[in-house]
Amino acid sequence: MTNESAAPGPDDVVCASADLSLDVSTASTGFNPALQRVPQIETTSAPLQLRPDFVPSWKPRRIAIKCIGLTLPEGEEFLPSEEARETSSDGTNLRRIERKKQTAKSEATDSSKQKQTRVKPPPGAVSLQDRLFYLLQPPLETWLAGQELIMPFEPFPYQYEGIAWLFARHSGLLADEMGLGKTMQTITGIRLLLRAAQVRKILLVCPKPLIPNWQREFRLWAEELPIATIEGNSTRRRMLWTMPGVPILITNYEVMTRDLPEIPEEERPQFDLLVLDEAQRIKNRDSRTAQVARSVDRKRSWALTGTPIENRPEELTSLFEFMDVVPKRAAPDLRQLSKLADEHILRRTKDLVMTDMPPRIDRDAELELTNAQESAYRYAEKEGIVQLNDLGDAITVQHVFELVLRLKQITNYDPLTGESTKLERLTADMEEIAASGGKAILFSQWTKSLDWLDERLQPFNPLIYHGGVPTKKREPILDKFKEDPNAHLLLMSYGTGAVGLNLQFAGYVFLFDRWWNPAVEDQAINRAHRIGQKNPVIVTRFICAKTIEERIDRVLREKRELFEAVLGDGDNDNVSLSMNADEIFGLFDLKARSDDGSRSIGPASPKAA
Amino acid sequence: MSALEVDGRGHVGGLLVTSHTGRPLEFQCTTPVKPDRTQEILYGRALRPWLLGELIGSTLLDRVSIKPDLVVVRDDEMLELRNHTQTPVACLSNTEESTHNSRSIAGRQMHFHSGHSTDSEFIESRAHLVPDQADLEEPLERVHEALTETVRTVLAR
Repeated sequence: MTNESAAPGPDDVVCASADLSLDVSTASTGFNPALQRVPQIETTSAPLQLRPDFVPSWKPRRIAIKCIGLTLPEGEEFLPSEEARETSSDGTNLRRIERKKQTAKSEATDSSKQKQTRVKPPPGAVSLQDRLFYLLQPPLETWLAGQELIMPFEPFPYQYEGIAWLFARHSGLLADEMGLGKTMQTITGIRLLLRAAQVRKILLVCPKPLIPNWQREFRLWAEELPIATIEGNSTRRRMLWTMPGVPILITNYEVMTRDLPEIPEEERPQFDLLVLDEAQRIKNRDSRTAQVARSVDRKRSWALTGTPIENRPEELTSLFEFMDVVPKRAAPDLRQLSKLADEHILRRTKDLVMTDMPPRIDRDAELELTNAQESAYRYAEKEGIVQLNDLGDAITVQHVFELVLRLKQITNYDPLTGESTKLERLTADMEEIAASGGKAILFSQWTKSLDWLDERLQPFNPLIYHGGVPTKKREPILDKFKEDPNAHLLLMSYGTGAVGLNLQFAGYVFLFDRWWNPAVEDQAINRAHRIGQKNPVIVTRFICAKTIEERIDRVLREKRELFEAVLGDGDNDNVSLSMNADEIFGLFDLKARSDDGSRSIGPASPKAA
Repeated sequence: MSALEVDGRGHVGGLLVTSHTGRPLEFQCTTPVKPDRTQEILYGRALRPWLLGELIGSTLLDRVSIKPDLVVVRDDEMLELRNHTQTPVACLSNTEESTHNSRSIAGRQMHFHSGHSTDSEFIESRAHLVPDQADLEEPLERVHEALTETVRTVLAR
């Protein structure tokens, strides 16, 4: 064996070859001879390597980490000064935090841990930092309980949701049904935005009569917030418009419309938030009020109204234009409006939020006229239409309206014979109600019908409550209806009985004839179906088949369905779903002679009854 | 402080600095950190404490401008952070049982790094500063949501 290479350098490759040839000789075979054979061994030498061929090595190293972060507005004041940043180390100097003052509320809200209303980033928040800002906010319940934000009453869960929704909205329309607390939700939303340093200057515009209400509510829900009401002479108002230091200005639509255009553009105040209460005031996008509202320099736009649509879905477009969610002069179709509504409108109704209320069961009683009623009705209708046609171009909506009223009266009862299919049905139902000790309220458009019913329903001890009853006698009537177990029926007119009364001890409501507007009917029904009602409320609407009542019902249903397509289900508070002139002419296949097809007909309000 | 494992990409960590009433002041989070195979083998059982506590935790704590007085974590392995900072670190316990190394703050049991017994006394002396109704776990849920949102946004890019 030979060594072919010289001594290798440290970096050279060591190559060595070994001759493995061995002398081979034949030997006797067999095991024993093999044992006697001496093994032949030859040796060869190889130089030692100076370094090992391969040494795995590893040292711990720190993985480079990148960070993403944001300092929230409230954190700014906690940032150390430049000097402190250079000298202090982690946690060595503990900053003392003050113990929160214990309030009665904080001690009593252990249950708040169970409810968690989180602020969600609005759909329009695109940047990660914007979205993180909202996601990192604490649940509203702990936020409001954890700071010295005294809440005089515990908000309902749906109100917490409304506050969280408003907080995260640059453009939002809060369209809760009247009475669900839009004012409180708005004030608390403003309060939290101010706390989170998201807004500094706010303008709230409302109808003039509502200003004292807003002032009172601000004192109740946010007493620590300074507010100023823009009122007085023009000099004082001008001073108030531009006065620094007051975070919240309240004014009415007329003052806003008059004052702001008069202020030179460079001096006009800028607002972080503009709130329009009863925002249907700007439903006409070409109105001066709407134009001025849109011209206000602002970062956020909130609108509040219980009736976002009064007559036409297009009215929403003006509100959306104010909220800067549609381009100027845009004309979105119904589908687009519905999509925008999903994103920018929050609407809750009592039906949806007061889930602990017993249900309201609606049933339409479709009745066939009696023979005498049928004859009287057909005669009146035929004669009436002939007369209307004879009027030619002189026909007005009032002429048609008078015919409608006459026909409706006949569906209540035939004035000649006194026959009434509605009375027959009512008597049958009342026998059952009285037998079970129940109480019912009946509504009619006419006091004359109520008096007529009073005479014929004496077995049920009816009580009458309408505009003809002197005011001082009204309260005792209601007391008697509540207390007297034999008084099973209260006969009321829509005008006098539809609003403001609490009759939740009555379990049955009859709509003897139909009002022009289903929202007024709902208000009437809500006398019985309201907070405090412990049993389901059964509502019976009397509708005579193949009569004007059926046609009116169809028109009103179609209108309601149209609005629900935009605003969603559960909506029952569009107080202006009245029929317009075109629709009332259409009841008799007539065309309106007037160009003003949107003019409402019928009494302006149920007070006429 | 909390961390989240992202499928196949490692861990992300987040630190939310809040006021004593839970209002958010500052937030920092990391990009995903993934140990290599060698680190996995050599660190063995110490891998997660090293990753979550030393690596991610101390990076976040260095990074925040508003230095917290106390770091609250939910993961025992993050207590390792305490070996790399002077700031006390408390871990929310899953049980109501108290031990010599735990304290109850605002109705929650918390335990501490066994090598830093003074932390327990430190917290005890300052427990009165924490509002009674404070929910010490809730901010960690916010961190979790913010991390999820960040990961979702970054992956979508």
